[in-house]
Amino acid sequence: MTQGAVQQSFRFGNTELPPDAQRARRRAVRLAWLTIGFLVTAVTLVYLVMGSSQAMKAAWAEDLLSFIPPVAFLVALHVTGKVPSERHPYGYHRSVGIGHLVAATALLTMGAFLVFDSLSGLLAGEHPPVGLIVVLGHEVWAGWLMVAVLAYTIVPPVLLGRAKMPLAEQLHDRVLYADADMNKADWMTAVGGIVGVLGIGAGLWWADAVAALFISGSILHDGVRNLRSAVAALMDARATTVDGTQPHPLHDRIDATLRALPWVAQAQSRVRDEGHVFHVEAFVVPHDGMPTQAQLQHAWHAVAGLDWKVQDLVVVPVDELPEELLPGLRDATGTRPG
Amino acid sequence: MHDPAFHDGMTSARRRRTVRRTPRRTARAAGAPAGLVLAAALVALTGCGDGTPTFPTDPDGTLERVRGGELRAGLSPHEPWTALGPDGTLGGVEVALVEDFADALGADVTWTTGGEEALVADLEEGRLDVVVGGFTASTPWTSKAAVTVAYTTVTDEHGKPEGHVVLAPMGENAFLVALERHLLDQEVTAP
Repeated sequence: MTQGAVQQSFRFGNTELPPDAQRARRRAVRLAWLTIGFLVTAVTLVYLVMGSSQAMKAAWAEDLLSFIPPVAFLVALHVTGKVPSERHPYGYHRSVGIGHLVAATALLTMGAFLVFDSLSGLLAGEHPPVGLIVVLGHEVWAGWLMVAVLAYTIVPPVLLGRAKMPLAEQLHDRVLYADADMNKADWMTAVGGIVGVLGIGAGLWWADAVAALFISGSILHDGVRNLRSAVAALMDARATTVDGTQPHPLHDRIDATLRALPWVAQAQSRVRDEGHVFHVEAFVVPHDGMPTQAQLQHAWHAVAGLDWKVQDLVVVPVDELPEELLPGLRDATGTRPG
Repeated sequence: MHDPAFHDGMTSARRRRTVRRTPRRTARAAGAPAGLVLAAALVALTGCGDGTPTFPTDPDGTLERVRGGELRAGLSPHEPWTALGPDGTLGGVEVALVEDFADALGADVTWTTGGEEALVADLEEGRLDVVVGGFTASTPWTSKAAVTVAYTTVTDEHGKPEGHVVLAPMGENAFLVALERHLLDQEVTAP
């Protein structure tokens, strides 16, 4: 339709995305809606056949919870599109962190509840009854239907997760990453559920509760991991890669770019992750005296040109690198002159 | 007319099968009419799952114990579904359903009467195999008893359709499936 121009100009606040990131964003939005569509079918089908199986209940809860990340992603994307205002000078990028925190808390709470639920079922020796169900005039053991529905939920999430993962890295979107990561592991839930239901059929009443425990344990694990990463980002931890495992390589590139300038003796920055984009404060020590306005301007452009993520940037000329603002400095001074 | 020799051969083959399954019930099963034994065997072979004889199966072996033996049934009076006369006679459509089910399994019914709570507790502790008492699909006993499919549906006084069910032990799924197949095969008109 005529929305091409609007989509071309999509921004994360003041940051205009380059064309490849624009494409990634559009694709991620499509995948988020696709995920929601798939989840609607999965939740409906699982609900219809779940009966009294604990494992089915846990799988259903996980499917329900899986709505949160794609919805949080879409909402956060909408909110981060707002341009910074007088009231919100840093823009709205933190909405990603808030979305991530909400998703993680939901996972953690539900995971803990389900672990308790399935563990108490196991300890109480509850025997799940699975009887007949009449489908289109045919009498079928309900367990077969459960297995069929769970089998349907094995493949699509894995494909969706694999498609989302590179987009999450490209857009530096933690919510999308959490979503993709959970999708990729979702097949284990379905297989666990199938094992549980077949266990009931084989007369192993505890198989269902053990499968439920496995599924809820994986939900709890997702919750703990995401909560850590979300809290770290909201606590202004240094910018990391989207999976939260290592410092983001852009940080080193920023410092290296500034140090390579002929008038710069020393340079070091601190970088925090606002969600999608970084906020950079770079301190530079000139060789002699104050740098000229043109030199500073050039330094700013050199760094901001590195990546679309680093346009919220302050370059500060200083006499000496401020140790209290750059906690890593003490370790670094030994290895660098000055 | 059947060839007697052939008939005897059938029975003894059936008997061997029964011996393997429930050694203590051999005499009763062999004594039952051949057609009934055949029906029970059909239930055993095709009735408990979809093609596989023992799937789903009972963790505590209820169906195998009941077949050709004793079906311990509980009744809580709830007319017109179940009735307990002053002289102890039992009546109601659900009594007939249970008696028919026991017949199909070649089992005798031993009735226990009482309040729902006591009967459900007996069910939970394995002292009863089935409980009837005019239960509906919205019974609050679902966490303590397995609820069967509805054998008939009637409209209650608020105009809401209400499925009528019976209660079975939790997780005895071969027994549950056999009972449900029996209930679904009946044409029950609501009293």
